[in-house]
Amino acid sequence: MTARTRWFGLATFLGLWQGLALLAGGWLLAGPVGVLEWLAAHPGLMARAAAVTLANAACGFVLGNLAAILLAAIPALWPRTLNLVAGLALVVFCLPLIATGPILRVLMGPGNGPQIVLAALAVYYTTLIPLLAGLRAMPSAWLDLVQIYGRGRWAELVHVRARASVPYLLAGLRISAPAAILGAMVGEFTGAERGLGVLTIRFSRDLDVPALWSVAAVAAGLAIAVHAAVGWLGRRALPDAPPVILAPPRLLRGSPGRKAAHAALLVALILVLWWVAVAGLNPFFAKRPADVAAAVIWAPDAAMTRAALMTAMMQTLALAVPGYLAGLALGAGLAILLALRPGLSAVMTPWAVALRSIPIVTTAPLIVLLLGRGAAGTVTLVALMVFFPTFAACQEGLRQAPGPILDLFRSYCAGPLRQTLHVRIPAMLPALFASARMGVPAAILAATVVEWLATGRGLGNLMALSASVSDYAMLWLTMVAVTAMSALLYAVVAGAETRVLAVMAPEQVRA
Amino acid sequence: MTPIPLTRRRLMQAGAAGLALGGLGLVRPAAAQVPVGLQLSWLHSVQFAGSYIARKNNWWRDAGLEVTLLQGGPNAPVEPPVVAGTALIGISAADYTAAAVAQGAPFRIIGVAMQKNPFAIASMPANPVRVPADLVGKRIGMAVANTPVLQALCTLNDVDIGGVQVVPTQYSAQPLLAGEVDCLLCWETDLPVAMEMQGVPAETMLLADHGYALHSQTYIATTDSIANRRAELVALLGGEVRGWDTYRADTDAAAVLTVETFPDAGLDLETQKLQARRQVPLMFSDLTQANGFGWWSEETVAQNIETLALLGRSVTPDLWDRSILEEIHG
Repeated sequence: MTARTRWFGLATFLGLWQGLALLAGGWLLAGPVGVLEWLAAHPGLMARAAAVTLANAACGFVLGNLAAILLAAIPALWPRTLNLVAGLALVVFCLPLIATGPILRVLMGPGNGPQIVLAALAVYYTTLIPLLAGLRAMPSAWLDLVQIYGRGRWAELVHVRARASVPYLLAGLRISAPAAILGAMVGEFTGAERGLGVLTIRFSRDLDVPALWSVAAVAAGLAIAVHAAVGWLGRRALPDAPPVILAPPRLLRGSPGRKAAHAALLVALILVLWWVAVAGLNPFFAKRPADVAAAVIWAPDAAMTRAALMTAMMQTLALAVPGYLAGLALGAGLAILLALRPGLSAVMTPWAVALRSIPIVTTAPLIVLLLGRGAAGTVTLVALMVFFPTFAACQEGLRQAPGPILDLFRSYCAGPLRQTLHVRIPAMLPALFASARMGVPAAILAATVVEWLATGRGLGNLMALSASVSDYAMLWLTMVAVTAMSALLYAVVAGAETRVLAVMAPEQVRA
Repeated sequence: MTPIPLTRRRLMQAGAAGLALGGLGLVRPAAAQVPVGLQLSWLHSVQFAGSYIARKNNWWRDAGLEVTLLQGGPNAPVEPPVVAGTALIGISAADYTAAAVAQGAPFRIIGVAMQKNPFAIASMPANPVRVPADLVGKRIGMAVANTPVLQALCTLNDVDIGGVQVVPTQYSAQPLLAGEVDCLLCWETDLPVAMEMQGVPAETMLLADHGYALHSQTYIATTDSIANRRAELVALLGGEVRGWDTYRADTDAAAVLTVETFPDAGLDLETQKLQARRQVPLMFSDLTQANGFGWWSEETVAQNIETLALLGRSVTPDLWDRSILEEIHG
């Protein structure tokens, strides 16, 4: 991509933005000129808020990724723990930020605690998954060599696995960097004194449209900058990107009975951890597993509770699923289109990479402002949240098509369409499925955030409402339901992935 | 920690107090400040200016308290920190307190900052809602969660809620300005203030003027604190009372103090001044004039219980405990 096309892309984007702002009138959208004017008038305020958010995001980024590295090392040393570690990590990743935020605030008190923890929670999983793959990405002969010298798993980890995993770690860090900013901003909604999230709330109440779009622009700019910076550092450290193995380690192998035993063990472990975590806390808000079971099964109003939960779940799924599927289809579709018409890519790709970094808490109110509170706004937002990662991953996947096979097609005079259909798309499938898996919690997060901040429906609203009327049994129940729903949908996608890849890309699913 | 400014008067007071206490053998080395938390219900703004005035003037410190003001937010419930003891007092509202009590929280209301509920219906002057009957045939933008509030207003004024079209909206004045709705259910002191600052003044109808009697910005504490930490409660709430009395004397000064205290909160001075003025009629009434800030009577409690019943909350007058206020004003 030349500098000229890049500047052309930037100019088109700014021109479109300004044009829309002029069309939309004063209460909806501020253009780049309005944003620059506002920023010029309030540089100190914005710089301080950005610094606070960035500092919390950085702490969370470091802690979350350290946790991911430690978690990934456990199964490398004790392979039998892989199922438990990966399952537990997935469940924690699926916890809804809207419900964990206030609980963390009560536990940690005033200060930056919840912001940092939520940022850490937002990043660790996207590092852990590539890292688990990276710790296995080496010729088995290297491990044989370690064994021949009579050394154990620790030596294997230190001398072979850790080094082989570095490229995967860097790839994971780059993807997770923008998510840290999102986590920190959601944390600020729980009563932080300063930061970009605080300003977002303030300005949307005050109807200060230029200020609101300025915060959104700065948050987006920061997210793009950290994404680019981590990517640049990664390329400096390691010029060659690895052939990315995106499939998760295969969990739960074996007979149905053994799978059930594994699942039961995981659930039991989660219940024990939950019980330990809330022990000693006031039962008014820190509900035990038994309280939640009572609320949904044998309390006098259990039937009503179940009905409210089901209604909310259906409302959320009705918008999250179409948005999710649309995002996947658009992401893969655009990537394929650009592979066929590479000229467009120079203009489109930078924006797709940039836009995927924008924190949803700033975009949610804006998209709803633009598209209204009906289904369209929520579906669009969920689709956007899924679209950008899918698009970027699919582009990467399309490039993985083996050169010799493409040469073979060319020597038979097969055109770009045939090459795409028979070589590039099959090569893209692992990437598509990887983003489809990771997209599940992201889609649920997007849908519930819009419901909470804007539309007042579904699970997002139920969580916010339960907290406001002190119905903490319902809040914990919703949290369990959302987590279980995300984890189950994730498992469904992972199941489909295994079946498809076993045919289309068997090298990905071999242990 | 800001150093205490050492004036001649303070020095002499301290000296006199030291002599008096020293004579009695009561001087303790470096009298320890008791740390307590006050959980606010929303982001820092002039909505809590009374607290900032009390802190700025060291009234709490002089009473032996080291007060932390815990900010609220859209995802920061007030009740758990009070139950957990992180905050000694929380700023809630009668309906939220009633809901928490129904869930087993041992709360009492020990002071009422907003005598009149701040809920209002905002509309454009060209198509105004001035009385509840005007709602018929209008589209009202509100959170679906607030449907019981609208229902209560309609019941109190014999308006058929079926004639009002509820449009679920986010909490913003934008749908009203864009003409997507004819009116909004909002607080008197936020969205209408934002509209006026943007040069589009709104018509507002306070629900409290049409039978919706519900104490708001209520100070809550646990029964345990009321029994065992009385002195601290009296000191904390006493500072609040003094702060709000000072606020009333000069709301502009309170707005200036708020903006200066929180330079990173994105507060606009003129907006804060307007909000500060609009709060006054909600917080101060003939009742507070006669009995002091935060007061309530058996009659207002009875009205609150009626409104709460319409909202589906059944409470008894025991929810209100005036003993702390009586100690302050007595």
